[in-house]
Amino acid sequence: MKINKNIFKSLLLVFLFPLAIGAQNSTEIFRAAGSPHNPKVQISFNRYYTSEGLAALGKKIADAHPNLVKRQSIGKSALGRDIWMLAITNYKKGNADRKPAFYVDGNIHSNEIQGGEICMYTAWYLTENFNNNEYITNMLNDRVFYIVPTINPDARNDFMKEPNTGSSPRSGMIALDDDRDGKFDEDGYDDINGDGSITRMRRKSAHGNYIVDPQDPRKMILIGPDDIVTTQRYEYLGNEGIDNDGDGRINEDTHGYYDPNRDWGWKWQPDYVQRGAYKHPFSLPETRAVADFVLAHPNIAGAQSFHNSGGMILRGPGAQEDLATYNRADIRIYDAIGKKGEKMLPGYRYLTVYKDLYSVFGGELDWFYGSRGIYTFTNEIFTSFAYYKKNGGGRNQTYDFDKELLMGDAFTPWKEFDHPTYGKIEIGGFKKNFGRATPGFMLEEEAHRNMAFTFYHAYHMPNLSITDIAEKKLSGGLKEVTVTIKNDRLMPTHASQDLKYNITRPDYVSISGANVVAGMLVTDDDFNVTEEQKINPAKMRVRNIPGNGVVKVRWIVKGNSKFTITVDSEKGGVVSKRSK
Amino acid sequence: MFYKKQAITLFSGLLFCFTTVQISAQTDYSNYSKFSQRLKTLQSQNASNSKLETLTTTVGGHKIWTLTLSKGDAKNKPAIAIVSGVDGMHILGPEMALQIAENILKNHADVLEKTTFYIFPNMSPNATENYFSALKHGNNGNAKSTDDDRDGEFNEDPFDDLNKDGIITFIRIEDPTGNYILHKDDNRILVKANKNKGEVGKYKFLTEGIDNDKDGNFNEDGKGGIVFNKNFSYKYPYFKPGAGEHPVSEKENRALLDYLYEQWNIFTIVTLGPENNLSTPLKYNAAGAKKRVVSSILKEDAALNKFISDKYNKITGTKDAPVSTGKGGDFFQWSYFHFGKLALSTPGWWVPKVKDADKKSAKNSSINYLNWAKQENINNAFVDWKPINHPNFPNQKVEVGGIPPYKMINPPYNMVADISKKHTDFILELAKIQPSIVLQNLTSEAVGNDITRISVDVHNQGLLPTHTEMGKKSRWLRKIKVALKLTKNQQIISGREITLVDSIDGDTSQKFSWLIKGKGNITIEAGTSHTGIDTATVKLK
Repeated sequence: MKINKNIFKSLLLVFLFPLAIGAQNSTEIFRAAGSPHNPKVQISFNRYYTSEGLAALGKKIADAHPNLVKRQSIGKSALGRDIWMLAITNYKKGNADRKPAFYVDGNIHSNEIQGGEICMYTAWYLTENFNNNEYITNMLNDRVFYIVPTINPDARNDFMKEPNTGSSPRSGMIALDDDRDGKFDEDGYDDINGDGSITRMRRKSAHGNYIVDPQDPRKMILIGPDDIVTTQRYEYLGNEGIDNDGDGRINEDTHGYYDPNRDWGWKWQPDYVQRGAYKHPFSLPETRAVADFVLAHPNIAGAQSFHNSGGMILRGPGAQEDLATYNRADIRIYDAIGKKGEKMLPGYRYLTVYKDLYSVFGGELDWFYGSRGIYTFTNEIFTSFAYYKKNGGGRNQTYDFDKELLMGDAFTPWKEFDHPTYGKIEIGGFKKNFGRATPGFMLEEEAHRNMAFTFYHAYHMPNLSITDIAEKKLSGGLKEVTVTIKNDRLMPTHASQDLKYNITRPDYVSISGANVVAGMLVTDDDFNVTEEQKINPAKMRVRNIPGNGVVKVRWIVKGNSKFTITVDSEKGGVVSKRSK
Repeated sequence: MFYKKQAITLFSGLLFCFTTVQISAQTDYSNYSKFSQRLKTLQSQNASNSKLETLTTTVGGHKIWTLTLSKGDAKNKPAIAIVSGVDGMHILGPEMALQIAENILKNHADVLEKTTFYIFPNMSPNATENYFSALKHGNNGNAKSTDDDRDGEFNEDPFDDLNKDGIITFIRIEDPTGNYILHKDDNRILVKANKNKGEVGKYKFLTEGIDNDKDGNFNEDGKGGIVFNKNFSYKYPYFKPGAGEHPVSEKENRALLDYLYEQWNIFTIVTLGPENNLSTPLKYNAAGAKKRVVSSILKEDAALNKFISDKYNKITGTKDAPVSTGKGGDFFQWSYFHFGKLALSTPGWWVPKVKDADKKSAKNSSINYLNWAKQENINNAFVDWKPINHPNFPNQKVEVGGIPPYKMINPPYNMVADISKKHTDFILELAKIQPSIVLQNLTSEAVGNDITRISVDVHNQGLLPTHTEMGKKSRWLRKIKVALKLTKNQQIISGREITLVDSIDGDTSQKFSWLIKGKGNITIEAGTSHTGIDTATVKLK
């Protein structure tokens, strides 16, 4: 009888399950402002996904929205995983490859996981809101998003599946000899208490500098110089681990270590100058795949990468020595977007890497900007502001937050173990998913706000239109055609870094169907100041179409035929207009 | 059995004769296919001491060869890497590398007992082919299509052979707006007019060609390609023609580095290319050495460079070399500043200074070359100026002429064997003084109560230090590991089981001692990949 009941239950589940996956009945729901109310793809944004999880979600989104998403592997990771990219736009309108593009990635540091979910949320939000929300519909008509949820899939999985601290691996999974003894990754962490996290080791010691907080046994208190200690003293012994290779040190050659965000080819420096650099610029397959993709897509005009933590909206330069690369005209654009971000992301600050964080070479955002002229931000997701929505909460608030809002889920209580070197010790502490990774119930909000910031950035990529075609009759069967091209957004078609080094080719403004006698750039229409282009005047080469500005091009043509004007800009897209 | 052995000896003897004949039959530099064939022949004739591998195949379809010379396990001996063809116009480099390999295998194979050689004879095979093409022009890029002037158009303004002589030289145009004048000592040579000396420019001086795209620049975007020696990360010349879009973008650059990073036994890299720190050592600059981004050779390494440079000058008997320390993006500087190895480089040859009756030599290097060519009876050292009609200068006198490419950096082929022999001797000297860790003065004494004191000197018997000063900072040079191999029932009372030593200077040692409780034999191991590893066993008392 009991068995039959279970079978019945299972069968019921099997039948009901497919219904649960699909959209809900419209009578059962009410749209919350700003969120897709009945999405084709259901995703829980209060948990994290492994690399395979992200890949599967990406596939679901692509399968559900074939006219909006093309899913492509841009390369393989060191351990052979695909690096999945979702190219999202309205494929039924315009040439997808020629729309101004916004590149987003996450998780370059494997333990900094939120980027994966923010990317996924962004892909989901764009696809589920298309034709439901005018802003999103326009965005996908005019722009294409290249979204790569994780560019470190190997070590993302290691972080989640293997014992780690909240700050490891950070590296990728290629073994390196950190202590230069000729062996690779031979002395990593050891999960002695088996909780899946690398927490801390402490030992009772007559000479220790800590005591246990009598009011909260999770907490350790540092003994001050004037304190009178009447209770058991403790000493910290570092992260959980044993001396695996017998060299008298613990955890000195863990997985990795190199830093994928020191591997990019702008002012790259070797490990002795810039700790974490690997062999040479783009020596890692993951960064190489991104670089090759970006080089093959000159339409990328804006970019965003997601890290954690600290609540920062970062721009370059990464290194003090690279200060001269960021010039005033471009910094004005960074400032406008970054300051808007501070408003949209409470608790976040808009900062410059080299002076507000640390001075480093070989970072991703510097390569995007320095080498490609792409305005790029890195966001450090999550800040202690989020715990109680106020600043200056101090260290103790993490213990309170764990107890009051996470029901104690973030902490492994101290417990006694035998250590082969240290003897009787205690192990415990915060788990790897706390401190840097956003707690589950806050993740959707964090993803949404960061996505909205990238939308603001993407909105301000160049947006070109031909606003006026003026014709004036001249003597001798000639006609003067003056075309006005407008860019109504913040970014120029060429960043000033781009103009300085001719990174992207000039914009072409061409006339077809007319017999062109001469072509010129109008530099001052009122005083008729022009610059003639002697060679191939039908295809005018315009160095730049400035942000919130116009460019005028003039031709002298013979005859009275109809003609078509085409503006072709790598980062600004392609627009055409026919004469009346 | 005896018969068989005899036959092998006879066969080897025949082979020896055959190769000797083949070497002497060589009368000129070899193009890619001939060079590859010579490499294969050399390898197959010395199969037990050499290995020929393909590092990668370039965009242009050429193989990048790696020739390894070693006896037994190559990876277990300190190694010298020789890299040439770093500059595609330096045809001498690949030829030297091949002849050095031949010399070692044929005449000095005993060196392979203790030293391994990794030889990368030609890193720019697409560029070196230009030397052998019907149209000789000084191009040193690979086959990748490049927009050298970054204007959005590719290869729209190449060189043009205006006088149809198969060589791209120069044009001079009589023009009052030009900045050049004829040299007073040799009117074939043009130099910039010096206004401060009252000189007035009379000529324009350009490379041979026309302004195909009418942008005012001549020959600024030909077939180009990416230059091996501009594509490395130290002082990389961003956005400059031939540099590529980012450092180490090219297959051959990347393959070489990825390979070198895996060869932990390399202690020195010898570049046969334009840079030269062997004739004149690099100079130490305290301010540059202290910066975060180090821009000067470090102090200890400058002294080491001088020590080796003195040996080089003595062994090769060369002098008067022009100073050349690297232009940025080059392999030589990478091998020191970014890889931390003992980095050595020489072009192998330069135009000797020719003294006139007053024992003075021409200050102008072109004139010195012409004087030398005359002395050596070298034909076609100069393409005499001849007038032509030039579409960009319709009403002006335009002439084509000048010193052909390649001439001033590559000697006539008949000089190469001697150059290669002298450089082989220098390379052999490097092997002789290589860092070499051995255990000396191993003693054991009873302390009582089943405890033995073991003492040993870890000695670098080579004259070279185990690590350059730069190498000490680099994670890509291993430390010297001194390790005890304990068996069960043996216990360390004092001392460490494993000690890592940063560096040991040439002919210097470091003392170690341990107290061990237990019985039986105990083994000590010291060294690392690029110093050799020595082991010794001692009985506990």
